[in-house]
Amino acid sequence: MNEASLIGLLFATVSFGALLYLAALGELLAEKAGVLNLGVEGMMAIGAVTAFIAGVEFQNPWVALIIAMLSGALLASVHGFFTVGLGAEQVVSGLSLTILGLGLAAYIGKDYVGLPPGAELVPVEWGSLSDLPWVGPILFSQAPIVYLALLLGVAASLVLSSTRLGLALRAAGESASSTDSAGHSVLGLRLSAVAAGGALAGASGAYLTLSITPQWAEGVTAGRGWIAVALVIFGAWRPGRVAWGALLFGGTLALKTRLQTFGVDFSPIILSMLPYVLTLLILLMISIRSRKRPSPSPAALGLAYRREER
Amino acid sequence: MKRPRLSLREQPLPGGQPLAFGIGLAIALFVGTLLLLGAGHDPLRIYSRMFEASLGDPDAWAITLNRAVPLGLAGLAVAIAGSMGLWNIGAEGQIMAGAIAAAWVARIGGDWPGFVLITMMLVAAVGGGGVLAIGPAVARAKLGVNEIITTLMLNEVAIRLVQWLIHGPWKDPDSFNFPLAPMLPDQARLPTLFSRAHFGLLIAVAVVIIASVAVRYTGWGYELRIAGSSESTARYSGISLPKKVLTVLVLSGAVAGLAGGVELAGTADRLTETISNGFGFAGIIVAALALMRPSGVAAVALLFGAVQIGGQSIQTLGVSSSVSTILQAFVLFGAIGAGVFSRYHISLDSGPSSAPEEAKS
Repeated sequence: MNEASLIGLLFATVSFGALLYLAALGELLAEKAGVLNLGVEGMMAIGAVTAFIAGVEFQNPWVALIIAMLSGALLASVHGFFTVGLGAEQVVSGLSLTILGLGLAAYIGKDYVGLPPGAELVPVEWGSLSDLPWVGPILFSQAPIVYLALLLGVAASLVLSSTRLGLALRAAGESASSTDSAGHSVLGLRLSAVAAGGALAGASGAYLTLSITPQWAEGVTAGRGWIAVALVIFGAWRPGRVAWGALLFGGTLALKTRLQTFGVDFSPIILSMLPYVLTLLILLMISIRSRKRPSPSPAALGLAYRREER
Repeated sequence: MKRPRLSLREQPLPGGQPLAFGIGLAIALFVGTLLLLGAGHDPLRIYSRMFEASLGDPDAWAITLNRAVPLGLAGLAVAIAGSMGLWNIGAEGQIMAGAIAAAWVARIGGDWPGFVLITMMLVAAVGGGGVLAIGPAVARAKLGVNEIITTLMLNEVAIRLVQWLIHGPWKDPDSFNFPLAPMLPDQARLPTLFSRAHFGLLIAVAVVIIASVAVRYTGWGYELRIAGSSESTARYSGISLPKKVLTVLVLSGAVAGLAGGVELAGTADRLTETISNGFGFAGIIVAALALMRPSGVAAVALLFGAVQIGGQSIQTLGVSSSVSTILQAFVLFGAIGAGVFSRYHISLDSGPSSAPEEAKS
């Protein structure tokens, strides 16, 4: 293993980490407000395809990113309408959303398969920082969306922990009826959180087709939406911990394609089980510990709220 | 200010769920028509083809029934857990675990007589699915770990286990280096009933009937439903919840495993990555549309199977497979929405009685 390939591995770890982080952060917001959205994979696919199409049509990566985020938010709002508005089962609606998103993405993207990208998010130049050994090529030569992910993570963390909005959002996920009594609109909070989550999943998908693999093909999301769902639990619903988890899981994604070049005789398929197995272990640990401490999971997660049934 | 609100009907609308499914289908057909027109196809021609290919003649029925078998068993697996208020999202993985176990028996028992081999394969499939459900079952029963997440994670583990097997230890040496498992021996195939419909249909029908009777008419099933509707009632009446949770989740996994074994011996010639083909996720939807009642699963599975087979058939007319995926999603959302309205009614309400912020002012 030489220096260049190690740098390549760490660079890809950060890229994949940011990709997973964006989607996981979105899921975290929705879950904090009490809505489990298992449609992440579908929203990512929609983000990926709309970003690619917008890139080809408008030749501008930022326009493409915004369109992808809006599309993700729009698709997420379908889930919001059914689960928050009508109180339908979140699990069923979320899985249906994945099916819808994957189907729609394949449908609207079918004329764009294999086309060259119209726009790409080029790496940010940080001047002399980018020239530093190791740190430069790994941390300071990433696509702009990586830094955006970091910024959004910090912002989400601050908003959730120390603003009235964050408090109201968390309250909606812990006890809807008391949030309602306090004069906040549970419906409004939950719908916005779900839509914001969709926008972030859309951004994650856009990062794929605007930077990591600038091409559109069906199945380009490759199950990473499910990793994002796992990450939220792995990080115990905390934006900071989810970020470290994203790096760890991003590392397994980066390593998967590189095992052979490093001459490691280990099945990449077995390696790709790691994120899920780790999440299971963490979940067990949390549960064993939370016999003494309160569980980090939002108390009203998965429960519909209908005011007249209080 | 008048705002729409939902309130619970005293009685669900009679025939609400079939009606909901019908409305879902109607919405899907409408949206599908728009999609097809947009892509320059003739919707009538496409729909009649879908119908003919799925329910048009005995051959079509056979293919649809073969699809309804894994959908129905997976749906039943989810419904068994669901009648106790548990979510088994892991049917997809349990189907694969069942198929792996059955394929393993077929590997070691290649020279056993057909009846013995198939029986052992199906028993192994039941065991395989059950084993994959043990972890989530124990974690839920003893530690209260949310079974939605644990079963979801194990899906991803199980699919990779299948991939690993067919890329590695179980790769067919005669497959010219393609990642393919060897073909099943001929005597490992389920016999056919008519056309291509295989014996799995009878197995599935039998299991659905047994489960429906068990949940509906036995003391065991009564306790199950009590536990599903109210934990505290169940506790007061002395029902051991952890034990119930454990048995129900493992049983649910076992039924999903059976689906994998039947699919392997019935329609697949070998273990493949797509052996489950989304049946586990579709099963969740089947169960939800059947309102978690084992007795309703069969009808929903048949209709859903027809939608899937019909959707596949129109690819030969140049319609992309994504259209049928989208149609399925619209059937689902249409039915979810209609299902809500069969239990609730909307009214425009100025509601001083219910809105706290208005009551204050």
